[in-house]
Amino acid sequence: MLEVLNGGLHTTVQDMGRRGVMSLGIPPSGAQDGFALRVGNLLVGNPPGGPLILGNDPGSAGLEITLGRMKLRAERDQLIALTGADLGTTIDAEPAPLWQAIMLKAGQVLACGMAKLGARGYLAVRGGIDVPLYLGSRATHVNGKFGGVEGRILKAGDRLAVGPSSSDSAALVGRRLRADLMPAYTPPWQVRVVPGPEAHLFTDASVERFYATAWKLNPKSDRTGMRLMGPKLEFKPGRPRYLVEDAGTDPSNIVIDPGAPVGTIQVPSGVEPIVLGVDSPTIGGYARIGTVITIDMAHIGQARPMEIVRFVEISYRDSVAALCAQETLITAENIVD
Amino acid sequence: MIYERPVFRTLGDTALNLEFGDETSIPLNFRILGMDAAIHQSPPKGIIETNPQVRALGIVYDPLSVSRNYLIGALSEFIEAGSEVDKLASRRLTIPALYDDPWSSECAEAFGVRNNMDFIAEFNDMTVAQVIEAHTGCDYWVTGVGFVPGAFMSYAMDPKLRIGAPLYRTPRTWTHSRLLNFGGTTSTIYPMRVPGGGQLFGRTPLNIFEPEQKNAAFRDSPVLAKAGDRHRYIAIMRDEYDDIRAQVETGAYDYAIEEDTFDCDGYLAWLEEQGEPLEKHDPDATWDQTDSAIRGPA
Repeated sequence: MLEVLNGGLHTTVQDMGRRGVMSLGIPPSGAQDGFALRVGNLLVGNPPGGPLILGNDPGSAGLEITLGRMKLRAERDQLIALTGADLGTTIDAEPAPLWQAIMLKAGQVLACGMAKLGARGYLAVRGGIDVPLYLGSRATHVNGKFGGVEGRILKAGDRLAVGPSSSDSAALVGRRLRADLMPAYTPPWQVRVVPGPEAHLFTDASVERFYATAWKLNPKSDRTGMRLMGPKLEFKPGRPRYLVEDAGTDPSNIVIDPGAPVGTIQVPSGVEPIVLGVDSPTIGGYARIGTVITIDMAHIGQARPMEIVRFVEISYRDSVAALCAQETLITAENIVD
Repeated sequence: MIYERPVFRTLGDTALNLEFGDETSIPLNFRILGMDAAIHQSPPKGIIETNPQVRALGIVYDPLSVSRNYLIGALSEFIEAGSEVDKLASRRLTIPALYDDPWSSECAEAFGVRNNMDFIAEFNDMTVAQVIEAHTGCDYWVTGVGFVPGAFMSYAMDPKLRIGAPLYRTPRTWTHSRLLNFGGTTSTIYPMRVPGGGQLFGRTPLNIFEPEQKNAAFRDSPVLAKAGDRHRYIAIMRDEYDDIRAQVETGAYDYAIEEDTFDCDGYLAWLEEQGEPLEKHDPDATWDQTDSAIRGPA
């Protein structure tokens, strides 16, 4: 058991999310920085699960700790790994190392400070956080009030059960991710985008502006959507008039259609592009200038309010190559003693 | 418009949309649902899930196991096999609702706008009683489920009874759960307390999303609506509303759901008799909706 002493600003149980339920209006949820949670699980010897919504296995559940302040106590020895953002986490007031398997001993208190680099830290625990599976996943969807601990953020007094584990945990202490694979989490954030599906509705100058701008992350961003502040984007003239009744009066309104699981970039009224996050709506009604590639959802998920985000155009072919390349990295071979 | 050939649109590295047109249209949705049913009968390799909506079919796939080109080829075979749909599996659900309810009024007051039902009546040049008569006067076709868990999009099947009202300019920060609302001619229900811009006009005592799945109606899924369902609304009084709500809360309420098949051909013929155009056109429009898309077979 892990006893939550302080839930922090926004801490939830997450795995790699649920799939096959978009047609029910249910988003994948799961870790916003899938790389960090998966590596954390590998470090403590848990199944890491597939990349976001792919693969049958959501992997073990851990905690996603947004911006910090979370505090918990171990009731017995637990092998854990802290990955993702540097939250200035301590164990009994001593700084705790990141990207490394460590033993949280019975009675010790783990306390997160405030994020120094990145926005979301992850805590993986050997055996995984043991909450009931809901539609195939343990991921929390706060708006839908399901998954995780009663479908909500953690609060003081929660007791988190830890799943069973087979081999001797002590032997894994000290394992770490190969140093050159550790993400830097420093702005400006580079986020790769495959153009479309409605890029053709924006003026050429606006598409150029989109990729040339140093956008700033709006503090109102969350797991539903990350809003970027910057110049207005314009739409081409010549919109069919029947769309006023069918979709709405604004040139950014399109008739509802399916979104990608995550990552589509809506631009309502041409103002503040929104990158849809892991808890996003499953349909769209605004023109989308592009889609953030799966593995870079981790990058934008680590941007902090007011940090600079730059979008970089990438071809479809290269986006798949990037996904394949990362899959070859998230393996036990890249965990070193 | 309905495209001469359906187009494929790329949504990043894991999804494709197969888009049939750019307009809201029930006949277009028949083709989407027919295609979705065919795909589920013999799914091409690599497909993870599909998400049918009014004018496009969303396809999520695993790019580590199949290429986009392979999938477009496989899906094109379905398109070539023909997209005319004679019949579709379609359940018929009866949904009781308290129209012009106090919770909708409370939301309007809280956000400093006039009673939405009065606005809807005025916008459609009707009385409130006529709005209720129109909304309960024909079946609504569910074109797709989505937005938040359990929400759905539906449209009046009788074009003469089709009413609606534009969304709020600035959405509310919250809405009571289970409120009926219009966004344009889209009729839907908020499954839970959510932000939203729909014009509110009633409340159903039924759950349309039940995560704990306690009622038999939710045995297979926490979501009541399915794409291709027909909804028929009936107006109830406050005491009936309270009575049904109490039964819904204990899990004992018997949801009225009929399994059925819908005669799409017959409906299209009926629409034509009504003088309803089957496709929308704007001769002055210059947007090329099929630009930058990958074209399907002719």
